[in-house]
Amino acid sequence: MGQILEMKHIVKDFANCRALDNVDFSIDKGETVAIIGPSGSGKSTLLRCVNCLNRITSGSISLNGETFVSTPAGGKAEYIPDKELRRICAETGMVFQHFNLFPHMTCLQNICYAPIKVKKEDRKKAEARGRELLELVGLASKEGVYTAQLSGGQKQRIAIARGLAMNPQIMLFDEPTSALDPEITGEVLNVIKKLAEEHITMVVVTHEMGFAREVADRVIFMDQGKIVEQGTPEEIFKNPKSERLRDFLSSMLK
Amino acid sequence: MNDFISNFQETMSYVGVLMPSLLLGAWYTVKLFVVTLILSLPLGLPFALGGNSRFRILRGICKTYIWIFRGTPLLLQLFFFYFFLPITFGIKFSAFTTATLTFVLNYAAYFAEIYRGGINSIDKGQYEAAHSLGLSRTQTTFGIILPQTMKCVLPPVSNEAIVLIKDTALVSVMGVGELMKAATAAVNRDVSAVAYLIAAVIYLIFTFLLTLLSNYLERRFSVYDAKEEW
Repeated sequence: MGQILEMKHIVKDFANCRALDNVDFSIDKGETVAIIGPSGSGKSTLLRCVNCLNRITSGSISLNGETFVSTPAGGKAEYIPDKELRRICAETGMVFQHFNLFPHMTCLQNICYAPIKVKKEDRKKAEARGRELLELVGLASKEGVYTAQLSGGQKQRIAIARGLAMNPQIMLFDEPTSALDPEITGEVLNVIKKLAEEHITMVVVTHEMGFAREVADRVIFMDQGKIVEQGTPEEIFKNPKSERLRDFLSSMLK
Repeated sequence: MNDFISNFQETMSYVGVLMPSLLLGAWYTVKLFVVTLILSLPLGLPFALGGNSRFRILRGICKTYIWIFRGTPLLLQLFFFYFFLPITFGIKFSAFTTATLTFVLNYAAYFAEIYRGGINSIDKGQYEAAHSLGLSRTQTTFGIILPQTMKCVLPPVSNEAIVLIKDTALVSVMGVGELMKAATAAVNRDVSAVAYLIAAVIYLIFTFLLTLLSNYLERRFSVYDAKEEW
């Protein structure tokens, strides 16, 4: 299966720090990748660069063969025009730590809004698809409910359905369970697991080591803006090669 | 006792005599209020969006407009338009039209800042979610941000509306026969403050009705809040 996302030599500088330091990252169609690492290691930034929430300083990113940002030798990153960029970014679905659902819409409206507005889908068709997605995340009964009335776990499941509604090439999860109570992270992780089983391409930034181990095809360990180590869950969790990964894993187990 | 009764009857019949002119004045007040609100509420929006714009020149124009109209007395603006337009450009509007024009420009500036505050209070996660779904800036502004802004600007907007109904009294200086002017005329003619008392009651009724309306709208806009248990 072919590569769906390719990021080369990614550098991202913020005002006073380098968040990503020459990172190469690619993902194959149908693959599930988990990114782990201490906070401030650049995991979220990497994810946010994929759908242009952060703009890279230099490097190049291609999605499905289309390069939307590249860097001429010695220069700064150049993005394609906004309108094109938006079309490509819509090919990636993002799930945020704090859900970011639209509070003035019901669950179904949250899911159907972008397909109707961006893809100009027929309302009836979009709503039928929306109901399927509600079913998939186990919230069919919440169709007409405003999001403020949902629990954290339910909100995140709606957010996942909203991302899927655009039929993205890749789903990006930015610490999807970090804002949830420990006893309800399971319901969200189960949904993500279900997506992995359906071979939806996914990148999950997570602190849930058990989940990364069980669901990911490949685990990436990042520290200080660099990919330090990557491999199968087996390799990463059973035979960590680098000192830093060993330290990180032992600190997670405490 | 008889004195009191006859006094009371006398007062009531005096009130009866005053009422037609005061009600006519109140009608002018309502007209000025409604027209100003209908025009200035939407006019504030482009200035609010412009004030937040990425384009520096547009932002500068909007900020300058707001600065001028919030920064000078409304009374001065009324005089300015009342005398300046006819003398300088030979444009002569009726006093009522000039008053409306001034009020609309003045209140739009205040509404613009209220809207801008509301827009800026929306969590940046909403923009990020909209962006990640591929929504354009326009779709994000009108589909995601402004509908949420409506709810949080409602209290300050109704506050301004209440200020506006009282500010309309200012145009009495231009000879527009609104409520304050009508009351003052009666007071000066009859050397009795009763007309002012009635005017005060009429203003209070207006503001009371506005409060009811704003409470109703607030309830309507809060449908998507979590139902509180207490």
